[in-house]
Amino acid sequence: MHYFSQFFNYDHPWSHVVIGMWHKYPNQHCTHVVTIDVVDRSVDPNTGIVRTERILGCKQKAPAWIVKLFGGSEDAFVREVSFIDPSTQTATITSVNLSLSQFATCYESIRYSPASQNKTTFHQTAEIQSRVNLWRAASDKLENFLVQRFEQNAQLGKLGFSDVLRQLWENHEQQQGQSA
Amino acid sequence: MSQSLSDECTPLKRKYDACFNAWFEGYLEPAVSASVTPEQRKKFSQEKAAEFDRSCGKIWHEYRACVQKAVTDKGLDSLLNQARKADPLKEPPPPDSPRS
Repeated sequence: MHYFSQFFNYDHPWSHVVIGMWHKYPNQHCTHVVTIDVVDRSVDPNTGIVRTERILGCKQKAPAWIVKLFGGSEDAFVREVSFIDPSTQTATITSVNLSLSQFATCYESIRYSPASQNKTTFHQTAEIQSRVNLWRAASDKLENFLVQRFEQNAQLGKLGFSDVLRQLWENHEQQQGQSA
Repeated sequence: MSQSLSDECTPLKRKYDACFNAWFEGYLEPAVSASVTPEQRKKFSQEKAAEFDRSCGKIWHEYRACVQKAVTDKGLDSLLNQARKADPLKEPPPPDSPRS
């Protein structure tokens, strides 16, 4: 089992980050995320919490030894469930891999909460665990590969979403400036 | 905007995403400030949930039918059902415990 965790702030108010969540892909840093589909969504009429279940389709080349051992292809799918609670200003996003899930699970949890008026804290944790009793070395090697891949993608996600948020709200401010 | 799992669903997905985004962008900030009392929040949430259904319900049903077929065609339905069974995630995860 491997754990991964990181915290940082985006220089945007919480509402802008949460609106931006739906515009995160595509972005130039995260070309591995190719498809996104909503498979379920509800707005709770009592609490106002928006729950969304999506399937993300990713294309990222796997090393030859992984393909040899586990089969599979460069297409990988992820289930993502998010909750946006305006009353507590909390957004949580939980993701788990659907592909190769018989061998290993990558369970990711993200939380966006306000740090101040104009800053939003991003807190990401992940647990990565291979399931099978492969011989120990191979299973450790698989976990290490998944951890590396996760860390690379986490970094790309930050770069990509920073760009998207900046562009989104810069354009928005320009438009407002023009119409004012 | 990103693509759908199936090219056939992409136009429906984009229409639906655009509809949701338009609704959500009008919803979020008033929803944050609507929390004066639980009754006010409930009334506001009911109105907004109904508004979302009126605006996007029709395109949602079309898109969902398309994407459900695509999920089955790609063989993802059993994997999705397994994941839902393992962790339904019907409620937000409690604070400070990422794993439910």
